Amino acid sequence: MLCVTQEERSFSEEEEEKLQSGLSLEKHTLHLLLETLSFILEQNQNQNQNELYCQAVYHNLKPASLRQQLENISVQPEKAEVFAQVWASAAPDVLQKIRLGIFAPNKLDLVGWQLNLQMATSARSRLKAPHAVLNLGLRTEDDTERLQDVFVEFNHQDLLDFYNQTGAPGVFECEVLMN
Amino acid sequence: MADAVSVFGGRAPAEVQQLAKHLRNLDRDTLSQMLSAVLRAVDGLDCRESLRLISESGLVSEDSFNHAVAGLYALLKEALCLPSLRQEVFNEDLRALRVSEEFIADVSSAVFGSRQTSINISDTHRGPTLAKIQDFKWRVDVAISTSSLSRALQPSILMQMKLSDGHLHRFEVPVVKFQELRYNVSLILKEMNDIEKRSILRIQD
Repeated sequence: MLCVTQEERSFSEEEEEKLQSGLSLEKHTLHLLLETLSFILEQNQNQNQNELYCQAVYHNLKPASLRQQLENISVQPEKAEVFAQVWASAAPDVLQKIRLGIFAPNKLDLVGWQLNLQMATSARSRLKAPHAVLNLGLRTEDDTERLQDVFVEFNHQDLLDFYNQTGAPGVFECEVLMN
Repeated sequence: MADAVSVFGGRAPAEVQQLAKHLRNLDRDTLSQMLSAVLRAVDGLDCRESLRLISESGLVSEDSFNHAVAGLYALLKEALCLPSLRQEVFNEDLRALRVSEEFIADVSSAVFGSRQTSINISDTHRGPTLAKIQDFKWRVDVAISTSSLSRALQPSILMQMKLSDGHLHRFEVPVVKFQELRYNVSLILKEMNDIEKRSILRIQD
């Protein structure tokens, strides 16, 4: 139907009476109906604004183009200007946060470790074998409170192998792509 | 006499009691070869090759060889299990078993000299352990575009670990966490090196 604000009324008195008789509604029911409809439309208008913000993030819009687009959907110029300025200052952080939030089923969130010295076993006493236990805390996408703990044990040779396996290639590629 | 062997805390098993009898016919070289093979066996390492060489060399009769190896194995295994065994006490035990003096020195040094080479224990003899990595794979991905960002260009690492207890873990590692992981691993390696090079804890052997 129409875009309305709180103060305006979409229909004149006569038109409301015609609607009332046509829809067989009581006066207060009609008003309720009109208010509900205008509320829904306002939401749509807000939704247009939300769409716009999502687009701004998606395309990494410049503040000037954001202001222009806001004015195009009939937001008042002063307000559009305010939005553009806030966007200009907040955009880098928002974008970075979204970049780092790329989703995956499990994410490594915590790296903990413990270095032990094995002194004896039931088969042998007087050992001095160092071994390490790595605690990898994995966070699942839906459960943001609890970390799943994965405990992995390494002796010296195992740890060396692990270090070499996660070695130069992976690190190098990551650093190239980050810069 | 054999009842007083303290290493076994009571009566020594039959193969140990008869050990001296079978050692009598050996020369020192053969004995030292047998000792090193048996030491490897006690640690759970493979010693079949060296034992085969000794038995095929013909210097020892097969019967003697079998009994001697069994006796040495039982003796060394028990001696290496006791943390507070002193060399003099062990020597006394060997005398009580009627092992000849020169052999006593050899056997004793086998037990007390090998304490430092404890890093080569096979995995079965390490006692209960947590899961170890059986298979480890990784890949580097770059998220070019997502539903929220048209130009994301965010690298990330996907790791897949298969552990010895059968679990398979697949997880993403942000680059920052990967650096942290690698830093911590190298820190642990440095600490391990320090421990092995010099005794950080002054453990009296």
